[in-house]
Amino acid sequence: MVTRFFTVVVLVLLITMLGIFSYSLNQKSAQLELIKTQEGKQLAIGKEIYDLEGKKIEKEFLTDGKVLLNVWASWCITCLVEHPFLKSITATKDVKLVGINYKDQINNAQNYLEKNGDPYVLSIYDLSGDFSLKLGVTGAPETFLIIDGEIVSHRIGEVNIDVWNEKFAKYF
Amino acid sequence: MKNLQNTFRLLLILSLSLTAEQLYEGLNEEQLQRLTYLSDNIRCPKCTYGNISSSNAPISKDLKEEIAELIIIGYSDQEIFNLMEDRYGEYVILKTDPSKNRSLFIIPLIVLLISILLISTYTIKKSK
Repeated sequence: MVTRFFTVVVLVLLITMLGIFSYSLNQKSAQLELIKTQEGKQLAIGKEIYDLEGKKIEKEFLTDGKVLLNVWASWCITCLVEHPFLKSITATKDVKLVGINYKDQINNAQNYLEKNGDPYVLSIYDLSGDFSLKLGVTGAPETFLIIDGEIVSHRIGEVNIDVWNEKFAKYF
Repeated sequence: MKNLQNTFRLLLILSLSLTAEQLYEGLNEEQLQRLTYLSDNIRCPKCTYGNISSSNAPISKDLKEEIAELIIIGYSDQEIFNLMEDRYGEYVILKTDPSKNRSLFIIPLIVLLISILLISTYTIKKSK
């Protein structure tokens, strides 16, 4: 009698446990959210930044109006995949596309742009990765849309036509 | 035998130069321990799993350096965790707060206790 009672209790507990777990799995808040995007944050520029030619970039250049920031590097294969799309975007739309050259050698970066074309207004030279780190970049490629200094849209990974339509198209 | 000893010495010297890269300047013993603790408990944002101390991704190296800097400036462990959570989301904090998912820890314990009771009563009854 006692053992039967305990068996029932254990079974009930097991079922409740499974029930709780499956319920929490199906809840919306438990949807697998991996790395948080930086949307809604202000663009923080700590140290001075320079472009690939060594010219200093004013802070206002990035915080005035709409700026599309794209993290790229010559060693990054996915960047090469999205490169034609970026070129088509700048060719057909009025987009101020600024590159962030992430942990790259200047020679390699310039060769890359010569070989594949340069859709960027200019590229920020970020050898140490410090500027990108403070921005919340986890790797290349990543794309940020900044409107008046606020990060409005952030894509981790490559940008293609689907991603563009989903995350960026409504602002242009 | 002497050759072997020399080879061993050479290996020792080589391995020393290998670990030298991981040393962080300006941190004392206690701060280094904190750096190890923090990088063991912060997930690498680029990799699907693994903490930043086990990862070779460029961002993990940067994060370790940033944490070392923050420790020198005087940030507490909790402040560093908060900063990382704010930047990359709760996902990167591997040291989770058990009170947030209490049922996950408590229900298996209850089931285990009841099972022990069940088995002991069963065996005691049988032995009588």
